[in-house]
Amino acid sequence: MSNCQTCAGSDSCYSAHNSTNEMYDYTKKMGVETIFDRWEAQQPQCGFGMQGICCQLCSHGPCRITAKAQVGICGATADTIVARNLLRLTIHGTAAYSHHLEEIIKTLKATAQGKTPFKIGDEAKLKAVARVIGLDEGKSVNELAVELADILLNEMRKGSEEPLALLKLFAPPSRQEAWEKLGVIPGGVLSEVRDALTKSMSNIDTDPVDLLLTSVRLSLATGYMGLVGTITAQDILLGSPSLAESKADLGIIDPETVNIVAHGHVPLVATAVIQAAQDPELQEMAKAAGARGINVYGSMCTGQELMQRSGSSAKGYAGQLSNWLSQEYYIATGAVDLVMMDMNCSIPALKTMADNFHTKLVSVDKIVRMQGVEDHVDYDPEKVEEQAKQLVKMAIEIYKNRGDKINIPAYQAKAVAGFGVESIAGALGGSLAPLLDVVKQGAIKGIAAVVGCTNNRNGHDTKGLEIMKELIKNNVLVVAAGCMSSAAEIHGLMDPKAKDLAGEGLQAVCKMLGIPPVLNFGSCVDIGRIGVVVTEIANALGVDPSQLPVVASAPEYLEQKAVADGIFAVAFGLLTHIGPVPPVTGSELVTNILTKDIESLTGGRVLVNENPKEAVAEMVAHIEAKRKALGI
Amino acid sequence: MRYVLIGNSAAGVWAAQILRSLDKESEIIMIAQEAVPAYSRCLLPEYLAGLKKKEDLYIRSHDFYKNNNIQTLFGQRVDTVDAYKKEVILQDNNRIAYDKLLIATGASSFFPPVPGLEGNGVFGLRNLEDAQNILDACRNARRIVVVGGGFVGLEAAYALYKRGHEVTVVEKLSQILPQQFDEKAAQILQADMQAEGIRFILGQGIKEVVSPGLWSRLFGDKGKGVILEDGQRLKAEVIIVAAGIRANTDLVKDTGMKITRGIPVNDYMETSIPDIYAAGDVAETRDIVTGEVGLTPIWPNAAAQGQIAAYNMAGQKKAYGGLIGMQNAVEFREVPAIALGITRPSGDAYQVLSDYVPQKNYYKKLVVQDNKLVGMILVGDINQAGFYGAFIKSKKDISPYLQDIMRKDFSYAYASN
Amino acid sequence: MRQIMIDVHRCNGCLTCTLACASAHSLSQSIVGAMQEKTPSRIQVLSAKGKVVPLMCRHCEEPACVVACMSGAMKKDSKTGVVTNEGTGQSCVGCWMCIMACPYGAIKQHPTEKTALKCDRCSHREVPACVEACHEKALSFVEVNEYANKREKKAAASLVDEQG
Repeated sequence: MSNCQTCAGSDSCYSAHNSTNEMYDYTKKMGVETIFDRWEAQQPQCGFGMQGICCQLCSHGPCRITAKAQVGICGATADTIVARNLLRLTIHGTAAYSHHLEEIIKTLKATAQGKTPFKIGDEAKLKAVARVIGLDEGKSVNELAVELADILLNEMRKGSEEPLALLKLFAPPSRQEAWEKLGVIPGGVLSEVRDALTKSMSNIDTDPVDLLLTSVRLSLATGYMGLVGTITAQDILLGSPSLAESKADLGIIDPETVNIVAHGHVPLVATAVIQAAQDPELQEMAKAAGARGINVYGSMCTGQELMQRSGSSAKGYAGQLSNWLSQEYYIATGAVDLVMMDMNCSIPALKTMADNFHTKLVSVDKIVRMQGVEDHVDYDPEKVEEQAKQLVKMAIEIYKNRGDKINIPAYQAKAVAGFGVESIAGALGGSLAPLLDVVKQGAIKGIAAVVGCTNNRNGHDTKGLEIMKELIKNNVLVVAAGCMSSAAEIHGLMDPKAKDLAGEGLQAVCKMLGIPPVLNFGSCVDIGRIGVVVTEIANALGVDPSQLPVVASAPEYLEQKAVADGIFAVAFGLLTHIGPVPPVTGSELVTNILTKDIESLTGGRVLVNENPKEAVAEMVAHIEAKRKALGI
Repeated sequence: MRYVLIGNSAAGVWAAQILRSLDKESEIIMIAQEAVPAYSRCLLPEYLAGLKKKEDLYIRSHDFYKNNNIQTLFGQRVDTVDAYKKEVILQDNNRIAYDKLLIATGASSFFPPVPGLEGNGVFGLRNLEDAQNILDACRNARRIVVVGGGFVGLEAAYALYKRGHEVTVVEKLSQILPQQFDEKAAQILQADMQAEGIRFILGQGIKEVVSPGLWSRLFGDKGKGVILEDGQRLKAEVIIVAAGIRANTDLVKDTGMKITRGIPVNDYMETSIPDIYAAGDVAETRDIVTGEVGLTPIWPNAAAQGQIAAYNMAGQKKAYGGLIGMQNAVEFREVPAIALGITRPSGDAYQVLSDYVPQKNYYKKLVVQDNKLVGMILVGDINQAGFYGAFIKSKKDISPYLQDIMRKDFSYAYASN
Repeated sequence: MRQIMIDVHRCNGCLTCTLACASAHSLSQSIVGAMQEKTPSRIQVLSAKGKVVPLMCRHCEEPACVVACMSGAMKKDSKTGVVTNEGTGQSCVGCWMCIMACPYGAIKQHPTEKTALKCDRCSHREVPACVEACHEKALSFVEVNEYANKREKKAAASLVDEQG
């Protein structure tokens, strides 16, 4: 594979990362099947599914579109089936983001009422938001926080006919105009989810174009609530990210400490656990058990959230272990005692792997359940202090059972985290203007958001990293979020030293500011943070986001939240590269709309190209065209 | 042992191939009138249409005869057979002795006795030479009349139409393809060709063909006049006669061999004279569906008969299970069609199942007799032909399948366990 | 000689074999690519009242299609036993004689070309793509012993009384 480094101890090359490849070999020798084996066992995969032309909604089905059967039993065409399947994916993504947001809102309110161990982390942001919303700034921080929480909760639950206030307040007016024309400005998120679910039932909405527009509508609800809403409330609650150095990859696991992994997306219990781990009483308990101390590592996006706040609410965070595809392998090191799983992305195979070791899996969200996992410490904001202590104690107990089957690959990387509007502006002396200047001068040609999941279809992190490296070589500043951010951390692209991989112009800027060429924007929900930056830049230049030399890429998208994100990026006006090919190719109509026609409506479109070099060439051409149009 | 095979088409080539596979030692001599390697006469329309070159018509690789150690006497005409001395006498009086002889001489175009239906510009379409002559004549021709709306006539008509000629098909009976297809099927196929631009005149025989008068010739009009039974007059520079064939039995007419329309053979392809076998278009066999003995001048039957003859000539007793005489597959323009067995039953003994959707060029007809499938016509969708054909050939009781047999998905799945 | 054996009781009708077949015969050598190229499958998954039967050419000992072929394109390779109308020196013209002759109905019209379409037992591969793809192991590529061979023939003969 093109990203393959010299793998010292590995026979395999499934992943772009040495640590993953070595762990794959290790587990294989143990006789334990992992992700790459299961992937191969599933080959070949059903082409009807891959093309999105399989419908399982009613009991006449499953129907699939074949040469012999051009429509389903109900008469649904490939276009309808593809658009409806895509909408159902989008709904899932929107709903999951809503769950995350609601947990944060409830915690924000309980915190303001003094019922949680948390403190309001960013008063300035709370006040700024309160000002935009039109709250009485004279009120106390806690009063404002309660009001904001109530407003957000109302935004979640109001009817679909009432336009979403956050969108009205935060989206650029030019965007709102475009969305107004398409009739896709959403109302309350839960109502939108209800409507869209109803539409996507069999034989309610069978118009492929309307189904696609419904996906766009949901993606906007996701964008301004699940993404922008969540990061804003989360920043107010846990503090906005600040620049901090951290570590990544399996080599950071300390074999001599009690090791807890926070795995998932909602960093509430995890933050409480990190704080609890500092408790001297628990530290003593760990030492009494024979450990040198207690470490809390991160995996998935919960880890990303902790990393970007490791200078504030998550002080003491031990570093990022993995992203989605490599989650089994940190357990396979034999040195992880407890995995606390909050919402999203805990694969059932974790349990299989845990059963080979002493590791205990605990779900910490009432909606997370896994076959065979019997320990649940379901998050309750008012009890989380106790819950966190309970989890740490559990980990210490389990540590005592740790065997001698320890295998920690010797790889680790340095990563700077905590980029966002505030931290960048802070580093630049209070405004984004210096950044805009280097873009205008052309030292940086443009910005590419490389976000989303990791996917084995094209080799673990392989395509994503190749795209990032190719972009920075072309002097395009990369901002990363989600599992792609983990990939970049582990690969060393978020180490300021990675500047050497960048083109001349970008390299000079990195050197001057001491930043890496790939900026760590955090978790997948931090795609909202990228949206905020792009909005700021657009506003500063007085143009629409679609006019900016900005592109998005989700080179290894995997699950439904990413579908909602991707459609949001297109609706936001960005050229959005998506890999692997989404399950829409069974419909020429849907494929054409997403890859061509939608550009005239929103300014954005989907770019599908599985060849990283070609994809980057197209993205760079797009950036150049936008620069030319702006006269820079 | 010396095998002599007269004829170098489907029956002859298959016989030679099988003989050689069964008997590596003996002499095999093939004699054929045409001086070319075996080719598929079924492909002549493709050649006429310009879709295939001469070399593309060959059915075996160029080293077939050499590899199989077959002596060839091509371009030689057999005058007669001396069954008593067991010798074949060539036109040049050379005599070739045989131990076993296969007559696979095929058939020739039949020209109906119509005044003027001869000479320049009038051709049959039976062999490569015919096709080459037609192409030569067509070089300066615009209008073509095809006499006969059977399989060969229609193939020729469509091929020449594709080359850009104005083609009129004249058929004496009231439908095209009267041998194999019924009226409904014929109409679909005719409409398909008509839509393309081929003209049909049905129910009219040809009364006379007149050469252009002196006056016309002076003005450069070379076209002949084709006068139909009702007096209608068609002009044509080229006339193709596709009014049937006659078996080539002349070479054995003095042997005392039993000859009817062709050479009748038994289940072992044996003629009435010992050590002389016959196969292909010249042979008369019993149709397993109708039980009638007759010529079955189609390629697959000729090939199968050649094989059976070879087994028996080599001393391996193998009976000809019998094939269905009346069968053909066609696709002139874009509607494929297949007919097999009894397709136009008359009388109460038959049950006819049919599904007719002419606007979709779709027609399926199954003919059942005593719970056995005895015939079928498929137009538009022929994918079930082989499977239905298997029922016809096996004479299997279809009563368990009767309610499903017309289904478009009726397939091997219904019969397999 | 190895044959593709079909165990109809194991087939669940997922059609994966048809996709794998198309993929193996496509330019792109991928399933989605084959769907886009519109490469047809040479294996059919037939259904009869809930029963599913995968069917591809059985590469008969005495193939009726080879006898019926009037262009000489359809041949049976004496070494491999594979019956195919491709790459045999002569080219198929789409006369449909083989379709008419095949008792199994295993030969189809090519949807876009005027040629007959049938299983070539993946002559370019070690193991046929359909066999490799079958999740349910309904298809297997095995050395056929005399007994199984006879059984297979007998099964066919019960339906199809081939000449000779």
